Order: sequence, then C-alpha cells, then structure tokens
Amino acid sequence: MNWRLQGSKVLVVDLNGDAVRAASGSMVAYEGDIAFKSAGTGGGGGLRAALMQRVAGESLNLMECRGRGTLHLAVSAMDVVLVELAGEELRAESEQLLALSEGLRTEVVFAGLQGATSGQGLFTTKVTGHGPLALLSAGGPPIALRVTPQAPLVVDPQAFIASRGRLSQTFVTDVSWRNLAGEGSGEAFSLRFEGDGVVYVQPEERG
Amino acid sequence: MSIQSTTPQPLDPTTLPDHDNVPGNAYAYCVRLTQPLFMQTGRMIAYYPAPGGQGIRFEPLMATSLTGMVAERFSSPLYSRDWVVANGSAHVILGDRGFDINSYDLDQGNLTVRAANLLAFDASLELKESIIPGFLTLIGTGKFLASSSGPVIFVEPPIRVDPEALVGWADCPAPSLHFDAGWMGHFLGAARGALLGTRSGEERQYDFTGAGTVLLQSSERMMEDPQVLRRLEGEVDGLGTGQLQRLQQVIQSRLMQQQQ
Amino acid sequence: MAFTKVTGKVVSAEVRPGGEVLARRGAMLAYTGQVRFSPVGAGPGGGYGGGMAGALGRAMAGEAVAMMVAQGSGTVHYGYHGHHVTVVDLDGGSTLTVEADRLLAHDAHLSSSVVFLGQQGGLRGAVRGAVTGQGLFTTQLSGRGSVALLSHGGTFPLQVGGGHQIVVDPQAFVASVGDLRVDVAANVSWRDAVGRGSGEAVQLKVSGQGTVYVQASEEKL
Repeated sequence: MNWRLQGSKVLVVDLNGDAVRAASGSMVAYEGDIAFKSAGTGGGGGLRAALMQRVAGESLNLMECRGRGTLHLAVSAMDVVLVELAGEELRAESEQLLALSEGLRTEVVFAGLQGATSGQGLFTTKVTGHGPLALLSAGGPPIALRVTPQAPLVVDPQAFIASRGRLSQTFVTDVSWRNLAGEGSGEAFSLRFEGDGVVYVQPEERG
Repeated sequence: MSIQSTTPQPLDPTTLPDHDNVPGNAYAYCVRLTQPLFMQTGRMIAYYPAPGGQGIRFEPLMATSLTGMVAERFSSPLYSRDWVVANGSAHVILGDRGFDINSYDLDQGNLTVRAANLLAFDASLELKESIIPGFLTLIGTGKFLASSSGPVIFVEPPIRVDPEALVGWADCPAPSLHFDAGWMGHFLGAARGALLGTRSGEERQYDFTGAGTVLLQSSERMMEDPQVLRRLEGEVDGLGTGQLQRLQQVIQSRLMQQQQ
Repeated sequence: MAFTKVTGKVVSAEVRPGGEVLARRGAMLAYTGQVRFSPVGAGPGGGYGGGMAGALGRAMAGEAVAMMVAQGSGTVHYGYHGHHVTVVDLDGGSTLTVEADRLLAHDAHLSSSVVFLGQQGGLRGAVRGAVTGQGLFTTQLSGRGSVALLSHGGTFPLQVGGGHQIVVDPQAFVASVGDLRVDVAANVSWRDAVGRGSGEAVQLKVSGQGTVYVQASEEKL
C-alpha cells in the first residue's frame, strides 16, 4: 500500500489486494478493480458506541475500498494531512477523517462536559493503533499547535480538527468568549487544552 | 507500505510570528496581542494566553472598560454589534472562511475595505462608514488585517469593477456608478434593469478614476449581509405611500425572479 | 489569445478586434480600456453577433447558462463566486466537453456546440444529465484557443489511454479533452458503500484517449 498526496487536496492510495477505510462518498476517481462496501459507523464499540453516536449526532460513515488499483479520495476541496500513528492515541472530529489504514481502530468517546448544554463537539472519535490516517482541513492547510504545561491553548470548537498526546480537554463558557463568538452562533464555548501534545486546527470554521 | 507524512511542524508561542501569516499558511494569521485590538466577531480560531498574565478579554463595544477610546476610534454604530475589543496579552490566530489574509500598514493614509473582509485593526486607527454601502474606511497610522477570496489583486485606475469583486480602494476618490448603455441595447433598458433588479453585474459597475490603488478579488457568493438590511430598514421610515408601493413592486419582482 | 492566470480564482484576457471573448454572465470582475459587453445566447456555433444565430441560440438554450461577449480593446478580469479557475489550451485537434455551468470563458472564435440529451445517445445522455443535476446541456468546444473552466477547489488532470479506463464520480467530473467515451455505470457495491441518495450510485466510466479534469470535491457549483 502506498499513500501520497496529489496537490494538497487529493489523497491517492495504491491498493494491491489490501483495503483502506475512507469517508463515504469521498471517492472522486479510481483506476483498476476496486470494490466498495459500507463499513458502518467506524467499527468496534458495539451497542454502547452506536448509542453514543446517536446521542452525539456524530456521523462517521466509512466505506471499505478493497482491490487492486489506484484510488483518489477527496472531500469538499479540503486540504489533506497525512499522519502516521505509532501506537499512540489521536482524537479527531469525525467529519474531519478522510481515510484510515487497516491497522487502526476507531471508537466514539465522551469528550467531557462542562457548562455546556448543546451536544455539539462533546463527543470525539478516538483513533488508536499503528498506521497512516488522513485528516481533512477546511479553508487551507492545517495549523499544528504545541501544548505544554507552560503554554495551554484555547481553540474555537468550529476550527478543531484533532489532537494527540497527553492532553486534558475542557469546555469553557464565559462571557468574554461569547462576546467574541458573536450573534447567532448558538451557545458559545471554547475548548481549552492543557498538558503535553499537539492540537490541529483549520483556517475555516465549520458552519 | 510507504507513506509520505505531511504533518505540519508544530508551532508554539516561541515560534509563532508576532504579526504575520502562520508559516506556510496564507489563510491564517497570528497577532501577538500587547495593546487593545479591534476584532470582528467569529474570526478567531485559537489563542495562547500569555503565561502568568490575566489572559485575554473580549469586550463588546457597547460595554467595554475602554468606552472613551472606542467612541473616539470606532465611528460606525451600524457595525458596532459585530466587533469586540481584545485586551490582554496572548498570541491570537485568525481565520476567515478560507480566504487569504493580508496585513496592511497605513501611514497617515486612508483605505476603504469591504466590511465583511475587515478582520481586525489597531486601536491607533480610526474607523468610519464609507459612503458606499457595505464598506468601512480606516484612517490614520497603524496596521489592519483584511481577507480576500484568493490572493488580493492590486490594480490602478482608470478601471471599472463589478461591485461584488471589490475588496477596497486606497488614496483614489470614491467610485461613481457606471451603467453599461450597451448591455441592454439602450440606456433606458439598463435603467429599467437596474430598477427592477434584473442584473448579472455587467451592466452596473463601479468606475474608479484618479490616482490610487484598487483591491480586487474573485466575486463573492451573495451573502446575506445583516447590515444591508439594517440600513435599508432605517431608510424605509422616510418614504411616502407612493414610494412604499413602488418599493413593494420592486421587492415582489425580485422575489419572483429568485423563485424561478 | 490565451487567458493569463492572475490568481487561482481569477484570469485576465486581452480583448481586441478579432479577438473577442465569450464568458458566462456575471463573470466580469473588472476591465480597463474600451470594452463593451453584450448578452448572447449559448447557441449552436457560438454566434455572438446577434441576428438569427443569436436569437436561435437564446431560444434553444432555454435554461442553459447565459453568455456574454466582450468586444473592443482592453484587459478584462474574469472570475465567478470565488471558484477556482483552470485554463485549458486547445491545439485545434481535440474537442473539450464541459457542463455549461462549469464554463467560465473562452475565445470567441472557438466553435462551440450545445449537445442536447437526445444527441448524446438515448438513455446514456438522459441518465447523465439527470445524475449530475447540471442541466440538460453539455457544451463542446473545438478549434485552436483557450478555455477557462470553473471548479470547486481546483482540478487535477487524469490521463486516459492505453486501453485502461478511469472511473469518476459524476459530482467530481469537470471536463474532458480528447477522443473519449463517457459511459454511465451503476455500480452496486458503490451504491451500498455510499448509502445516500440513489443518484450517487452512478459512476462515469471514461475510456479512449485524452484527459479528464476532476475536482477534489463532490460539490456542484
């Protein structure tokens, strides 16, 4: 298997009889003999995960692409980032996941709740294992921001893509942030990260 | 298996720029906050509070501790609800719909920019509403941030511009409206089209003359700008019965067009 | 004449007598010099001089994307709603096929024809028009000159040839150049995998010799 980018917005995967799981509907073109099969909602987790997903409104719909050939994957002209996981854990906004290699597992996890009543962003998708995965970034290349005990980070949840490392994540809702979020943006809370790790954000806010 | 990782190099407060685009990213901009900054709401994507500091406060213009400064610098009641003053010390990162973001330096100058594309400006600058609806004028010395759909294109007058493609202009006089007489066969046709709103853009242009610079972008999707509505609603009060009936006709014909 | 790329979303063109430019209405961003714009129909032959061909064009084009011609002497900037622009130069030997609403502008002296459903071959054409939801018209351009195409986020070219075919999502298909055959295929496994509206269960199979321009998005313009 070979993963590479064509430009900044298209992930190209060469398949030699193996498989990749990709966001449903993300195939823009392919050559060769490739079969597509629904891979459900990210696999694993059983009833509890399914229930969580319904609660969260998280929609990680994946398809399994298996065969021999070249696959071109893209979603809404978003930039693609390739990340290699070596046993550690990555937490991602489910709609920012483009593709996962076979060695990775996904699970919907409760991301914590603090002072917020809207369900948005309270669940994230946990990815663990070994292998490459591709994330999506809207509005341009993603920005990787390092978090250390000396440098905590505050992020607009609409711009959050993923985080990795030993991080604690809290939802902060205060008057100041609400002012900044502006009118008509629903309940305004920010995401605060503390600990040791990296957070990926995108230049465009999800609508 | 081979994979070419494209993960960007992680940045932190020691490596982020003080006032520049995020490295390798035309669509995100980092400002190190040291003094009050006017910011449009909904344009910040992340910030690092400075260690040991009081963090950062975003205050609405109506209820800020800096009332005197705001009254002096921000002279646009129409837009005041969409702006805050950021106070404190932090690195703030801004993004705007995936538009390119540029920083502009004004030195005893004035520049007029589309309100939706103005992201932030130094409190040393003064802001006023332009005569052209939907645009704001910055006057004085200082920096501001503005966005454009694709890199901004600088051109010199004389030039005629589709109003939707206009980002702003500097130093030259405000534009006049030019109606393309040839577009609908004759001038009255153009006038009728303008009145009834049957336009594609080509028959109605902003005409720039004189010395200066005009800033262009690709035309934007028509956004429903709440300020345009606020401004129009305010002006309806001054109309008589005949004028109101006329306006109703125009609105109805426009609605019918959109429903087609 | 060729289009000059100004940014990824804007091109400019030098207009002169004998070098007119056709563009979709609403695509003119700015111009300098003495340039006149007049509406034309997107009819057979791409006639822009008005008269019979123009009138016929307008009548036949119906809901097709309305075009306009730029005449005179000057420089015109073109772009549309912040979409990305791809410039394709035709050498005179091959034909470019594009859905009407993805055409930003082209040299007026290129010959253009609007291919209707029926002409494209019965069910094949009908299915294609229906699934892409991009109207019933496909524009074909030939001759020597330059064409500017619109896409969401830009395009990437895929070469077709040597007997192998490429399968493209209809929503991501922008244009094709060369001697190509486009067939609609319903892929059962694909329908199962996508699991959305039935329209998306269809794929375009491209074979022959040429280039397909694909966008990194399934969004229509």
